[in-house]
This record gives sequence, C-alpha cells and structure tokens, in this order.
Amino acid sequence: MIEFDEWEKRMVLKLVYYGPAMSGKTTNLLMLHDLLQQEGRGDLMVLDTKDDRTIYFDLLPFFLVAPSGLRIKLKVYTVPGQVKHDATRKAVLQRADGVAFIADSQVSETSNNFNSFQNLEKNLGFVGLDIEQVPLVVQFNKRDLDRIVAEEEIRRVWDPSGIPVFMSSALYGTGVLETFVHLADRTYAYVDSRYGLAENHGLDKQMFLAQLVRRKTDHA
Amino acid sequence: MNFIGEIKFLVGAEKRLIDVLDEAQILPLFKSAVKAGIEFAAVVDDKNVPLWTLGPCPPASVVGEENWDARCKLLLEGEPVGAVCLRRGQVNPHGCEMMAHLIGDALNSIMANNLKRMLTTEIHTRVVNQSYDELRESHRQLIESEKKYRDLAENLELRVQERTEELKRAYARLLQQEKMVSVGQLAAGVAHEINNPNGYILSNLNTLRKYVGRMTSMLEYYRGLHEAAGSEKWRELKLDVVLGDVDELLDQSVSGAQKVKQIVSAFKGFSHVDDMGVSAVDINHEIDRTLGVLSGEMPGDTRIIKEFGVLPAFEGNGALLCQVFLNLFRNAFQARSEGLQLIITTEHEDDTLRIRFSDNGPGVPDEIHGRIFEPFFTTRDVGHGTGLGLTIAYDIVNGYGGTIEVENSKKGGAVFLIQLPATGRTDGQVR
Ligand SMILES: Nc1nc2c(ncn2[C@@H]2O[C@H](COP(=O)(O)OP(=O)(O)OP(=O)(O)O)[C@@H](O)[C@H]2O)c(=O)[nH]1
Ligand SMILES: [Mg+2]
Repeated sequence: MIEFDEWEKRMVLKLVYYGPAMSGKTTNLLMLHDLLQQEGRGDLMVLDTKDDRTIYFDLLPFFLVAPSGLRIKLKVYTVPGQVKHDATRKAVLQRADGVAFIADSQVSETSNNFNSFQNLEKNLGFVGLDIEQVPLVVQFNKRDLDRIVAEEEIRRVWDPSGIPVFMSSALYGTGVLETFVHLADRTYAYVDSRYGLAENHGLDKQMFLAQLVRRKTDHA
Repeated sequence: MNFIGEIKFLVGAEKRLIDVLDEAQILPLFKSAVKAGIEFAAVVDDKNVPLWTLGPCPPASVVGEENWDARCKLLLEGEPVGAVCLRRGQVNPHGCEMMAHLIGDALNSIMANNLKRMLTTEIHTRVVNQSYDELRESHRQLIESEKKYRDLAENLELRVQERTEELKRAYARLLQQEKMVSVGQLAAGVAHEINNPNGYILSNLNTLRKYVGRMTSMLEYYRGLHEAAGSEKWRELKLDVVLGDVDELLDQSVSGAQKVKQIVSAFKGFSHVDDMGVSAVDINHEIDRTLGVLSGEMPGDTRIIKEFGVLPAFEGNGALLCQVFLNLFRNAFQARSEGLQLIITTEHEDDTLRIRFSDNGPGVPDEIHGRIFEPFFTTRDVGHGTGLGLTIAYDIVNGYGGTIEVENSKKGGAVFLIQLPATGRTDGQVR
C-alpha cells in the first residue's frame, strides 16, 4: 500500500523480492546496487545474515523528486526464503506496492518454487493484499546452471497468467535490471492510476524510470 | 483527498534525521573541529534549521545556506535530510571543506549503522510480537474449541440424563396406564359379578324376612290350637329365642350385603371405569372414595383427621386424582404402621387448591429429599412398593400444572403439599 502524505509531499513505495530460499533474491539486490549509480539511491542495507542466508531482510532504498516537488522514496526489500522465517516474510510483505517473485530455475527446485508462490499468495492475503491486484513480475534465476527447466516450459506455464516472466542469471548480472525495470514500470502504472503522478506531479513513466535506473556508465 | 499522513509502516517506517543521530555521536566530532580552529559547527535539517550546534550561538542571519563556509549533505536512504555546516574561523577554506566532508562521511556512516540497528530491532520485535500474537491467537482458538467440546461433552451428559429421566417417566406412565386399565377392567368385571348375586341376596333376604314373618304367624297359630303339646314343643325348640334371633340374623345379612354393595360401588367409582375423561371433580369426595377402598390396607389404629375446606369443582380426571391420593395414603401407611395419625387438609385460596397430607411418621431424610419423586426410587424393601407411587403422583399433579412437594414438619413427620390451579368452574362449589 502506497504511503502518501500529501501535506508533507512525500510518498513511500515498497517493492518486495519474494521467493524460495537460495533462489537469488539477495544476489539480485547486490547486483542492482552494483549496476546502478550512487546518485538517487541509498546504500544496500544487508541486515544480519546467517551463513549468507537472509534472516530478516535486505533493503535497497531509492529516492527521487517529481517536478511538482513530491519526494518519492522507493524501498526494495528481500524476504528470507527459508520456510521457517514465515513471520518475517509476513512482516516485510506488509503494504507492498509491488512484488518480484524470484524462482530458482533448477529442476530440483520446482516444488520449492511452487510452495513459495503459494506462500506468497497466502501471505499477501494475510496482510490484506490481493495477488490479482498487486503489481507482480516473475524471474527465473540461475539460467547459467545446467539442470534447469526449459524456457519454453516456463513460458507455457506462466504466459497464460499474464504475469511477465524474465530469465536471469543474477550472479552474472543478467536479467536483474530488466526484472527491476518491469516491476518499477508496473508499480508506476499502479500508483499513477491512483495518484496521478503524471497529471498532478508532472512525473511521467519515462522520468520515473530514468531517475530510478541510472546505470553506471562503465556497465552500460 | 489522498491524505494518509497517519498511516505508518509497521516495519521500516520512515526515519527522520533526529531519529538516527544523537548528540553523543556528533559532539566529539564537533569538538575536534573546534579544537582545530573551526568557529562554529552545526547539523541542520533539510530546511536548514540547526539541530545540533557547537560554538558561540549563531545570529539568526547565520541560519541560511549562504552563511556557511562549508557544507556536506547528510543522506538517509539516499534522501538528503540535512547537512553538516561549518564556519571556518581560523581554518583556511580548503581545510574547512575537507573537515566538513570528513564529519559528513562519519555522520553518514553512523546514520546508516543506526538505521540498520533500528531496522533489525524493529523487524525482530515485530516478528517476535507477531509470533507471540499468532501463538496467543492459536492458543485462544484452542481454548475456544476445547471449551466447545467440553460444553458438548457436558451437555451430552446432561442430555443423556434428561433423556433417561424422560424415558423413566414415560415408562412409569406406561406402567401406570396399563395398571389402571387392567384395574378398571377388573373392577368392572368384579363389580358386575358381585353386584348381580349380591343383588338377589339382598332382595331374597327381604323376601325371606317377609316369609319368615308369615311362618312365624303360622307357628303361633298352631301353638294356639294345641295349647298343651304345642307349648311343650315350643319351649323344647326354644322358638322364642330362635324367632327373636331370626330378625337379627336377617338384619345383619342385609346390612352385610348392603356393605358389599357399597364397597363394590366405591371400588367402581375409584377406578372410574365409567368415566375416564375429564369432568368436574370434587376433590374432597375423591379423597373419601380413595380412603374407602383402602380400609383393608389401613393399619387398625390409624386415625384419619379430615379438615376439608370448601373447594370449587376441579376440572380433571377423578381416576387420576384418586391415584394421587392413593399413593399418598399408602406412603403414609408405610411410614408408620402403628399409631399413625394422618391429617388431611384441603383449602382454596385465590387461584390455588391446596391439599396437605401430614403424617406423624419419621419424616423424609435429607439425603433422599431430592430424589423421593424420582422413578423407581424406593427406600422400601424389595417387594414392597414399586418405587413408582410418588412418581406417579408427581406426574399427574404436574400434568395439571400443579406442584407436589414434601417437607418435614416441625413436630416430625412428613407433609406432602399438593397445589393445583383452581381451574374448575366457580359456580359448581361442592362440599
Ligand atoms: N549459479 C548461480 N548461482 C546463483 C545465482 N543467483 C544466486 N546464486 C547463488 O545462490 C545462492 C543463494 O543466493 P542468495 O541471493 O543468498 O539467495 P536468497 O534468495 O537471498 O536466499 P535466502 O536469503 O535464504 O532466501 C548464493 O550462493 C548465490 O551466489 C545465479 O544466477 N546463478
Ligand atoms: Mg537472501
């Protein structure tokens, strides 16, 4: 849920990277952090981890100002994927404005992906959100590995749902920005439809994405 | 409008500069700067309002971006939230700039660390609270469902008890009904069988008395004809005594047969074979009637004291009421076999008919007080009483919307009190 304070001219948006344990959520954020300029974003905050696995969450904040002076903070969170951290997942999922579901492409992870997606659906319901309404994108990560589900198979399953699906290899930085940009795009549309970002604040989608995604020149 | 200023994130709520910095962390840095020759140091917020300062109090004019010699932005999650500002004093402009950035960098990393710590605490507390809440919720649900099952179990027992009670009563009623029908049929049959012969015994006795009179006249006539021999024979046969006795024998026989006739009709009346329906019943009369058939069961020295009041006719079934009284009488007879004194009072007050049976027996022990009207509850030895008598009485009275209760009187002995609604027509007052 968008936090919007008209008086203060502030808006806080929240994107959540969800998915099964070890699918690469944290890696996605690390890569985003690496790929984007310091300008317009804060530092990646990796809260306590245990054996490199997220216990609480990771947070990558972005900040931009609309021509109207509206200050927008966009916070990208990861949840802990391990089943046992469900309470944390619920807490982080509160008031999400967009969700990226990071699946693990490995054949062996199929049922984990499925369970995690079900868990997402359930927890969205728990925090009062509707999976049909929330801007959502899906990423199949670890495409660089061998024993993975074929892309055609994935498309066959997901395309009918209308949810955009991206192939990625977060460890090598491929597909990470694409996923993020599409999620931001969808979220913009959602927020714009409710708060008139373009109309009332002079912030069109191009501007929004341009401020959010400032690639480092050496990576371009 | 879209004003939702009140809504707060539960986790990761927006922090302000003053949330993530405090004086203790800033002052040492400022002190070093001042020691190095800086005139005035401040942390200002995004509207250039000083939050923390060190050095001589700045004039109002100082509060403005252009009045500082060096500034370094403070960023919170990428958002500019304030700045470190310095007035260089004796320090050269370049050195001042350097110092501002040094302090700015230090504060930025302090802020990041503080924020991280706060977020960790927040999420931790949140998760712990949430788990605690969930635990409490599931605990509550557990207790609730347990309570539901317990209620169910308890109710089940209660309902089984109720049903059993009902069944017992239904069974008792059935028994009673059957008994009444057979008693009634028997009474009707017996009454018929006895009434017929008893009828001609009575009428024959009357005829016989007439005939005996005639024969007596004849005998006296013969004695007159044969004065001497006749008188001799008369004396020999003690006909004076015999003829005197014949009258008495016949009187006794007639009154005996009449008694039989009475008893049979009382029996018939008691069993109400003639009317099993509802009619205007005289309760006092029914009590008398019941007593009539019980004369054989009554201990010899029993004293019955009747204190009957004037009662309106009771709209009901006489046979059933007789059953009530019969059972109360029997109960009294069994309570005391010698020297029983039973006082029966009836009275009418407002809308209630009250019938009291007070005996001078041992009374009802406290421990069985509550059970005395229960079906098959009996304190008597097997073979004496079915344990249904008082239950039947209870059921019948209950059926008329009345109550029956028992108490021990102060003088000892039990007092059974029946209260019936005076449903009867008030015009038909009977004594
Ligand atoms: N080969 C390969 N490994 C990857 C890729 N992305 C992530 N990994 C590895 O997968 C492991 C888990 O990655 P994380 O990003 O920590 O996974 P996570 O989803 O944050 O896991 P949790 O925090 O436990 O939920 C790490 O060893 C990553 O290096 C990828 O695209 N290819
Ligand atoms: Mg992680």
